[in-house]
Amino acid sequence: MIETIGRKTIEGIENLGRFSRFVARTFGAMAQCLFKPRTYPLIWAQMYTIGVQSVPVVMATGAFVGMILAIQTYGQLASMGLEERLGVLINIAVVKELGPVLAAVMLAGRVGGALTAELGTMNVTEQIAAVQSMGTNPIRYLVAPRVLACLLLTPLLIIYADLLGILGGYLISVWQLKINAGAYWNYSAIGVERWDVCTGILKGFFFGGAIALISCYKGFTCREGAQGVGEACTEAFVGCFISILALNYIFAVVLDAVYKSFWPIRPLL
Amino acid sequence: MPRKIVKPEDGILVAQNITKQFGERVVLENISIAIEKAKTTVIIGPSGCGKTVFMKHLIVLERPTEGSVYFKGERIDDKEEHRLAKIRTQFGFCFQMGALFDSLTVYENITFPVEQHYKIKDYKALADTVKQKLAMVGMDGFQNYYPASLSGGQKKRVSLARAIALNPEIILYDEPTTGLDPITSDVINELIIKLQKELAATSVVVTHDMKSAYKIADRIIMFHKGRIIADGDADHIRNHPHDVVQQFIHGKVSEAELAALRLGGTKFETQFLPEDFE
Ligand SMILES: Nc1ncnc2c1ncn2[C@@H]1O[C@H](COP(=O)(O)OP(=O)(O)OP(=O)(O)O)[C@@H](O)[C@H]1O
Ligand SMILES: [Mg+2]
Repeated sequence: MIETIGRKTIEGIENLGRFSRFVARTFGAMAQCLFKPRTYPLIWAQMYTIGVQSVPVVMATGAFVGMILAIQTYGQLASMGLEERLGVLINIAVVKELGPVLAAVMLAGRVGGALTAELGTMNVTEQIAAVQSMGTNPIRYLVAPRVLACLLLTPLLIIYADLLGILGGYLISVWQLKINAGAYWNYSAIGVERWDVCTGILKGFFFGGAIALISCYKGFTCREGAQGVGEACTEAFVGCFISILALNYIFAVVLDAVYKSFWPIRPLL
Repeated sequence: MPRKIVKPEDGILVAQNITKQFGERVVLENISIAIEKAKTTVIIGPSGCGKTVFMKHLIVLERPTEGSVYFKGERIDDKEEHRLAKIRTQFGFCFQMGALFDSLTVYENITFPVEQHYKIKDYKALADTVKQKLAMVGMDGFQNYYPASLSGGQKKRVSLARAIALNPEIILYDEPTTGLDPITSDVINELIIKLQKELAATSVVVTHDMKSAYKIADRIIMFHKGRIIADGDADHIRNHPHDVVQQFIHGKVSEAELAALRLGGTKFETQFLPEDFE
């Protein structure tokens, strides 16, 4: 029993070490990529599959979040006669938490799964070894463009999710629930600060980076065979999901502290 | 057999006392081979004896548990990946399973190593080179196919064309003729000989095909259970006294294996019937 716990712990730490080395090498390769215009086509191609093709699902996610929030909270606010404040509630929730997190989860499923499966298959069919055997660094050729694309585009996708969330909330509140549009937007404007929007989008960099790095790592280290690829995909998705939630928690704590110390003295700076 | 001591200067590519373990399992045991420049070295041996693993050591896709690998007298098995990249451009490796990039067309597969290492200005010339390399293996005209729509033997030939795309000094072929018809096999044999003659390429070929081994080899090395049991030119191997070698080159099963077959019987003790699974 104790032996098992010990072994698992050691395995876990070893894995973490390997993952950190992978991350370090990826960042090195990404820096090289940025200075070599020759690799840009690879990045564009990844941006298209990772970013552009994710726009519809991310927009749908955002829209539904906004609409559901409107319907769910209306009853409670209306019973207190505060229904005009619905806007603040929906928009804060969408911009600060639900937009970024759910968009990232959506991406983890759509992009993370695909990356792990693709690289995992390449790994078990020796295509990664083939890249290596021809004197090309597989991390630079395969991982760096994917991580860069994911890192740069997740914030943009979050903006789409936010926009559609706000729009969805508005449509339901104003059109279906007949809330005065002017009041709805006024309260929103007072309640949602630029800080909330910016931090929400900032999270995107970290979520995107985490998704791509974890998925690529799982693909690179996947075990032989169809089952190995399947397992790697599952592990990648679970890993991405957990790290999105954990990162979000860390963000909440850190950003709260930063906000409390700097935002009030903002006019002075 | 007394083991020769192999020194780094003995050949262009030298494996010195290589032992490879995967976990507990010893796959290669104290293997030393000096591969001579501009010669064709053939490695034979039963399935699962570690030939592929050995070949991967020569280009440091696997790192030895013990021992070292030297290329032109310089130790390479302990080098970091980014240092190996330069060295590997002088190698061509033809994987046993082809390992073609399945998201790229045949044309892109072959230009891949070229584009990675050279700035291409003349695309017309590149297309001509690709055409010529593919023609060498009888695959011209398949430029726009994806590997998924090629047959096993065709994939193998494309992967061969890719391995020689950079005109490497050393070409490592892992079973280049397995799964090919006799005529295409012979074309590949001639190709290997031609590359050796015209470009003074050093070739290491893993094969099960004794006919092609005799034809192309300057030297034949036989592996058995992770060790070298025979090493010499074609005649040396033909007249080798060791039973295992004789059985291998004549494709005969040994008494022990026959006994195992007889023991197994021709019928299963318990026949499985479809009803059993319902
Ligand atoms: N990555 C690995 N992990 C664990 N064991 C391995 C690994 N690669 C190879 N082996 C083992 O090493 C042994 C030798 O494998 P290898 O692929 O070199 O055989 P081979 O001589 O090329 O056989 P064949 O002629 O069938 O291709 C096999 O028994 C295999 O189980
Ligand atoms: Mg093999």
